[in-house]
Amino acid sequence: MRFLIFTIALLVCSFSLTSYGFQSESPSPAIQAPLADKSLLLDITQVGQSKLVAVGEYGHILLSNDGENWRQANVPVQSTLTSVYFLTPELGWVVGHDSTILHTSDGGESWEIQYFSPELEKPLFDIAFDNENHGIAVGAYGQTLRTSDGGKTWQSEFHQEFLLPDDVEYLAELKQEDEEAYLDEIAFILPHFNKLVKDGRTLFLLGETGMLAKSNDFGVTWQQFEDIYQGSFFGLARTKTGNLIVAGLRGHVFRGIKNGSNWNEISTNTTALLNEVLISKDDRVLILGNNGVLLESTDDGLTYRLHPQKDGKSLIAGVLFNGKLIVVSDVGIKQISL
Amino acid sequence: MKISLANRIEVALFRHRLFVLVLFFLTSVFLLFQASQIRLDASFTKNIPLEHSYMKTYLKHRANFGGANNILISVCDSEGDIFNPEFFTALKGVHDKLFFIPGVDRIQVKSLFSPSTRFVEVVEDGFAGGPVIPADFQATTEGLAIVKGNIEKAGIVGGIVADDYSCAMVKAALLDINPETGEKLDTLQIAEKLENEVRQSYEKNNITVHIIGFAKMVGDVAQGAKGVVLFFAIAIAITAVMVYIFCHSIRLTILPIFCSLIAVVWQMGMLSSLGFGLDPMSILVPFLVFAIGVSHGVQMINSVVKKVGLGLTCTAAAQASFRALLIPGGIALLSDTVGFLTLLSIDIGIIRELAITASLGVAMIILTNLVLLPVMLSYMTIKQSAKVGQLKEESTVWLALSSFATKGPAVIILSITAALYLVGFYKGQELKIGELHAGAPALHESSRYNTDTFLITDRYAISVDYMSVIIETTPEACTYYDIMSTINNFQWRMENVAGVQSAVSLASISKIVNAGYNEGNPKWRVIPRNQQTLVQSIARVPSSSGLLNSDCSVMPVILFLEDHKAETINTVIDAVQAASKVLGTEQVQFKLASGPVGVMAATNEAVSEAQVPMMLYVYGAVILLCLISFRSIRATAVVILPLYVVSTLAQWLMTALDIGLTVSTLPVIALGVGIGVDYGIYILSTMSTKLNEGAKVQDAYLAALKERGSAVLITGLTLAIGVSTWFFSDLKFQMDMGILLTFMFLVNMLAAIIVLPALAAFFWPSKAEEEKDSGEVQIAGRTGI
Repeated sequence: MRFLIFTIALLVCSFSLTSYGFQSESPSPAIQAPLADKSLLLDITQVGQSKLVAVGEYGHILLSNDGENWRQANVPVQSTLTSVYFLTPELGWVVGHDSTILHTSDGGESWEIQYFSPELEKPLFDIAFDNENHGIAVGAYGQTLRTSDGGKTWQSEFHQEFLLPDDVEYLAELKQEDEEAYLDEIAFILPHFNKLVKDGRTLFLLGETGMLAKSNDFGVTWQQFEDIYQGSFFGLARTKTGNLIVAGLRGHVFRGIKNGSNWNEISTNTTALLNEVLISKDDRVLILGNNGVLLESTDDGLTYRLHPQKDGKSLIAGVLFNGKLIVVSDVGIKQISL
Repeated sequence: MKISLANRIEVALFRHRLFVLVLFFLTSVFLLFQASQIRLDASFTKNIPLEHSYMKTYLKHRANFGGANNILISVCDSEGDIFNPEFFTALKGVHDKLFFIPGVDRIQVKSLFSPSTRFVEVVEDGFAGGPVIPADFQATTEGLAIVKGNIEKAGIVGGIVADDYSCAMVKAALLDINPETGEKLDTLQIAEKLENEVRQSYEKNNITVHIIGFAKMVGDVAQGAKGVVLFFAIAIAITAVMVYIFCHSIRLTILPIFCSLIAVVWQMGMLSSLGFGLDPMSILVPFLVFAIGVSHGVQMINSVVKKVGLGLTCTAAAQASFRALLIPGGIALLSDTVGFLTLLSIDIGIIRELAITASLGVAMIILTNLVLLPVMLSYMTIKQSAKVGQLKEESTVWLALSSFATKGPAVIILSITAALYLVGFYKGQELKIGELHAGAPALHESSRYNTDTFLITDRYAISVDYMSVIIETTPEACTYYDIMSTINNFQWRMENVAGVQSAVSLASISKIVNAGYNEGNPKWRVIPRNQQTLVQSIARVPSSSGLLNSDCSVMPVILFLEDHKAETINTVIDAVQAASKVLGTEQVQFKLASGPVGVMAATNEAVSEAQVPMMLYVYGAVILLCLISFRSIRATAVVILPLYVVSTLAQWLMTALDIGLTVSTLPVIALGVGIGVDYGIYILSTMSTKLNEGAKVQDAYLAALKERGSAVLITGLTLAIGVSTWFFSDLKFQMDMGILLTFMFLVNMLAAIIVLPALAAFFWPSKAEEEKDSGEVQIAGRTGI
């Protein structure tokens, strides 16, 4: 297969924005809830040697040192939080709906708002930092925010390179005719950016309509891979042998050898939405999906065995912690022994 | 005055004996006809406190959300899972049978076989789907495997397929009218069809059929209530034996039983004439009326025979007995009536109906047993040697008992009583309000209906214990993010309350639908901020889901609870009130409460609020009547104190037996006090005559025992037997009532012959003090002659 790279270095527009996009609605802090660890949780990550942080609905941020006992951090918003990222054991960020970006500098104990713009009506889905100053957050309708001061200020970016050629033309015309309609249009015209995966110096971006791109400059410019699928992608990981595994809608898994120069579709025997790809220490590939789908490969992602979880709950994200798979789901934390 | 009044009545009655008999005969014929017209009448609204604020909310929105008259039939395979041809044949059969029962809303019959049971899956370019059971379904291994896959995609596990795939459900809603006849739906007939045509036809081999729903429950309750007829016959038979042992004469046995049955007929006839029906809960009343009637009849026979023994003619003895018993008997019956009437103060239709039914019945006894019985007795010939209620060793027993009225034994008795009272009071504090057991409270936990309920709640994600908090807001509220978000936050707070298992509302459904529109991605499981998207996420939810009304200005949050114990309900109610204070606004109001547990919450509150006033009224009435008849505070205290101790002990008994204070047990306390006072009144009326004549307390008590002792014993036993047959009732509430009434009747009797004399020994302590009070006793004594 050809390895196509669209190198488009383009920032069509760049708005400078302060920490708060919108001041009229001051968010209410999350309430302490006994069932927080059994509510819809959407992301989990390991911080340092012995800490787990999970985020989810109602502004829940949960901390645990053993994966079993969870406590709720004080969080200044009640928005549904979709993703958590820690650069160091102390410095972390969380993104979520209402274009929320939260920041911690004490390992997740306390959180402050860096960005909050519910009036945009767009969720953020992922965030990553190159170093303690430079970071990028992405979300629905191609929303992209960038900081170069550790999140004190965030600038919006419009990545026109992900537009369809027809749309580029249409937008150019519209801009001439009606500036306001143009701004309305670009707010929702890009595909959803579902996930960022930091892999060494490379940053991968996964999204709607088969969107799969990589960047060597932390998302300033993106190179798209060849179209391999028209559905959405949600998870990506690199196996120990350097091959890429990407998973998405309706049980679709592709295996890209040699950094994605050649993609093969892998049969999975499931049509569930696949949320995340994990690589275990012993080189197994684990794929988490909706309806209790857990796929396991012991041959570098070539073939998969289905381990359906009885309760049929969506397995949304997970970490391998102390030899166990700790997963967040629509009923909270779940431990799955492998 | 009273003497002359009683005399005048006596003379008038006995002079026109024949006329009185004819009058009674004609009235009885008329009322018997009326009684034969009586119908069983059970309506839901009678069981709830209509004036309670929760129930006002409930009734206001019942048209939108109250259509909860559902039938759930779970067909289970006892071996393995449902994926075998036999099971699918049975399930199809049940589905079709239910579909064709008149009164079932055919559009809403839902099971794997209904065309509306479809699966939808997200595909690259949108949604795809089809019926879970395809049109070309064959019950082969391949066919069943396809169905299994579709079931998973359709997300109906826990809904119409059991969590462990051991059962599948057929659901239906009932209409209010039978479309074939155009008449009001006969719930009992539906219940019968469900039992005979559905369960009997398909429950065989590995297949079991479990049916729940209001109609089925009512059917089972009605079935259980039919057993009452048998209990009534048994009660009559045992009572007859008791009376025969007492009087050794068949004719004397028949008379009081006959007169008491006349009272029952009159009561039923009157009820029917007044336009009331007989509720399953008031079925106890004929028992009570009969038992009270017999017990007063026994007093009358006792008196007549004893007077004949003294050498009077039958007529003269009957006449004298009438005169002697009219006042104490009348007062006793009057206090029963008043005791029952106090129940009118409680704002629950069924208790009020019980009050009317019972007081009417007791009023009838005044006529049949204090008037008709002596008149009939006056026609009889009784041998002078007839011994009534006299056992050979009796006098020694009485003599031994009479020592209770001396200081020494009295101290012991009163100390034990005080100790019992203290323990009873302490333990009685733990008395729980409301239903304490799982399942339909009217039926036993082990009944088929309740075991079916447990099976269904266990295997499906379904709870029958739910409460709806009604959110009243502005029209089209479900298209506004702020309002939906408030409802969502409220729901989350409630889900975190101990005792709440899960909750559902339009808000929580809209989140799932929104994720569905976004490829099923769980990260989109939020209430959309964008109004168009929000509208899209609720557009697929019909108002028949019970989650919104037609303009979505009213939306319930349905809370599924772990059980319906009073503590659980109270915790949840408190949490709802606390949350609505934080989240409620002018625009969004959280209103309690609907659903079965909402009704229970209101009923519990009404019952618990009624408890103290009702006791005050009952005791107030009884004290007043005692004061009027004895004209002595001492005498009143001697009668009332043992009664009060027994009421306290009854609360202890309820705590010990896990019987909650409910609509059915609350009246029992009033009935127990009203009837329990009879014993004391009978004994004390003789005692005060003797005390008046200057006798010592012990002698006065001995005289009372000789005259009334055996009659009192018989009375207590008759009453207790009449209600104790309910122990074996299929209906839980009848059993609870039976236990409590039996206890109240027996223990009140014991208190009257043990505690009352002991108290008297202290209240009329010495000659000197007695002199001082003699005037008082004199008056009291005269009334008792």
